[in-house]
Amino acid sequence: MGKIRVLIAKPGLDGHDRGALVIAQGLRDHGMEVIYTGLRQSPAQIANAAVQEDVDIVGLSSLSGAHLTLFPKVIEELKALNASDIPVIGGGVIPAEDIPVLIEKGINNIFTSGSSIEELANYIIKLVGDEKITPPKKISHIGIAVHSIEQTLPFYRNTLGLVLEGMEEVASEFVKVAFLRIGDTRFELLEPTSESSAIYKFLEKKGEGVHHIALGIEDIKERIRQYSKNGIQFINTEPKPGAHQTKIAFMHPRSTHGVLFELTEESGGKDQ
Amino acid sequence: MTINQKDNEKKWKDSVEETLKRFPERKEVFQTSSSIPVDRLYYHENDSDYNERLGFPGEYPYTRGIQSTMYRSKYWTMRQYAGFGSATETNKRFRYLLEQGQTGLSVAFDLPTQIGYDSDDPMAEGEVGRVGVAIDTLHDMEALLDQIPLDKVSTSMTINSPASILLCMYIAVGEKQGVPINKLTGTIQNDILKEYIARGTYIFPPKPSMRLITNIFEYCQQNVPKFNTISISGYHIREAGSTAVQEVAFTIANGMAYVDAAIASGLDVDSFAPRLAFFFNAHNNFFEEIAKFRAARRIWARIMKEHYQAKNPKSWKLRFHTQTGGSTLTAQQPDNNIVRVTLQALAAVLGGTQSLHTNSRDEALALPTEESARIALRTQQIIAHESGVADTIDPLGGSYFIEALTDKIESEVTIYLKQIEELGGAVSAVEEGFMQREIHRTAYETQKRIESEEEVIVGLNKYKIDEEVNPELLKVDEKLEREQKAALQERKLNRDKDLVNSTLKQLEWAAKNPEENLIPYILNAVKAYASVGEICNVLRREFGEYGSI
Repeated sequence: MGKIRVLIAKPGLDGHDRGALVIAQGLRDHGMEVIYTGLRQSPAQIANAAVQEDVDIVGLSSLSGAHLTLFPKVIEELKALNASDIPVIGGGVIPAEDIPVLIEKGINNIFTSGSSIEELANYIIKLVGDEKITPPKKISHIGIAVHSIEQTLPFYRNTLGLVLEGMEEVASEFVKVAFLRIGDTRFELLEPTSESSAIYKFLEKKGEGVHHIALGIEDIKERIRQYSKNGIQFINTEPKPGAHQTKIAFMHPRSTHGVLFELTEESGGKDQ
Repeated sequence: MTINQKDNEKKWKDSVEETLKRFPERKEVFQTSSSIPVDRLYYHENDSDYNERLGFPGEYPYTRGIQSTMYRSKYWTMRQYAGFGSATETNKRFRYLLEQGQTGLSVAFDLPTQIGYDSDDPMAEGEVGRVGVAIDTLHDMEALLDQIPLDKVSTSMTINSPASILLCMYIAVGEKQGVPINKLTGTIQNDILKEYIARGTYIFPPKPSMRLITNIFEYCQQNVPKFNTISISGYHIREAGSTAVQEVAFTIANGMAYVDAAIASGLDVDSFAPRLAFFFNAHNNFFEEIAKFRAARRIWARIMKEHYQAKNPKSWKLRFHTQTGGSTLTAQQPDNNIVRVTLQALAAVLGGTQSLHTNSRDEALALPTEESARIALRTQQIIAHESGVADTIDPLGGSYFIEALTDKIESEVTIYLKQIEELGGAVSAVEEGFMQREIHRTAYETQKRIESEEEVIVGLNKYKIDEEVNPELLKVDEKLEREQKAALQERKLNRDKDLVNSTLKQLEWAAKNPEENLIPYILNAVKAYASVGEICNVLRREFGEYGSI
């Protein structure tokens, strides 16, 4: 994930920038890239800077009481630049009763005096860290359900000429697995070892064929959190052990337009 | 008692006699609740370096205070900073505060006024009347000061870049009230260097800004001799996050830059130095704050006497206003702020302040309500009338701890002053960003200490409670901006346009000629009802604008 880029801006004529400067420095210490506009910026200047600097989030600071006028103006200007996707947060001397008004007008959140940098940094990471979703690195494997590995292997080995890398039994899933390398990825042939196996049920219902696609990722827990936030349902929200000492989790096909995707974190947290 | 000290004691006692003729003491007899008499001053008879380090009150180097009887004769001036919305509304608050026993006015202007924009300027949007009163033309100033007798009330105005314009408006209102110009008393902040460093309401670059300031020094010395022409401010430097030492060091360095500029423009040091005033912050660390005020007086006295060779003792005296530290207030459990303010105000009084503003408990949330502003004023009145701390001069003088802190602050300030001198003085140091960096470093360290709870802020990082922070807050009506704009536009239509144009033209000419004093030209434009924005725009064209550092 790249560095989060933040624009800290002082809209209007207010000259109190202790808070803005301290926050800019604090977020830098939390590994973010921070651009500070300096004093007396108009909402249009702020929106332009946000777009030009390609920031992930804008933080506004005002202690002069002009927030109700100026903060929503920044939102409007961002909209005019087709940049409504950049979230805006605010801080300063802002009475509690004004906060819902600002949120109503599109400000993401307000941090008033007494908020800690820690709190703010975590909030930003949660909010925009997710926006920067890095795609899975590769297809880790394609799972194919078969009645019998032994009867299927000749097609893959002799006809296609693939190399059998190994066989393994995954007791927890009641399956026997054969791995065949193809380019950077593999086919996994899955044969049920018991009637309680999900593969057994699959074969009963649909017959032999492609069962799932496994996506190679790092940090499976974080991915589950991220994807869940985007409305993806998981069959298992806690990662479980897969073949080759991997950690795996399945997304429900209901939320992935019909495909059963598996997330695979290879041992050591790295994709191969 | 050494002979020298005997002489000085006699000098002080003579001066007390003189003072008492004009300002008798508040009581015949001062005593404690147990009827123990309280003397005017306590000191050690055989203190060999007493005169060098402390001196008697009202005597060089003024460590113990600048007047010979201090608060035994007269309490400090209780001066609450106020202003919001329209001139008429602020005028009501002023009259209320005067009725409540406040003894001086202090005007807060809104940001457009402070940065020289009219209320109808696009840059002013959302800011009109927010943090202070909106003043566009002399009309507004007339409404602001309506029925306030300018020969009796002294007025402090927090105005910097356009200080000359607001001063001229004040003079013009005084004239309409029939008050002779030399009877007007008050203060303009007029301290541009700290605007670049910490407060942000600058307009012009340093050089023309310094010219405006020295023009004011010269004009006032000749015409408005009782007006404080500048209030050299550490307050905002401290609010921006500096330490107590940095506050004093940078303020004094700025003060020296003004003195240098005035001398360079041909003024004699004793002609303007007696009208220089200072403005400090009163923060939480109780004894350090008291020592800070005492050290600042001593340092300034030495600089004025030894470095600038000023002859008039009035030039040596550091007179200062104090405001309690706004940044120490918490939005959480806001009533706790009353206690913070009390301690800070007490430190200012024990440090010998000439005037004091106590912050209101709700200022971390909004501008103060009338009730909060009253409690803040009552805090000062309780310290004055009930605590007895004002009954003897410099009650902590001679305390081992206070004196050691005073000495240490003086020596650390001196190190900073050397550093700034090596950078070519305060103006160069500001342009180079030296002070800004130093302050920012301290501010960030403070924040980290608060977050790690190494520094405890009650109610913020310790002793927290679940609370609904929703006190009654002062609301500035949204309507105000529209009304102020409409009124201004109407006024602009109904004035002598030719007169406005000709006075502005003359001002433009004067601005081009560095030898001219700008103040009379500004006064003429003000009297013709030219607006703050119009006057500033003429100067912007001639002087240019300062870009943020």
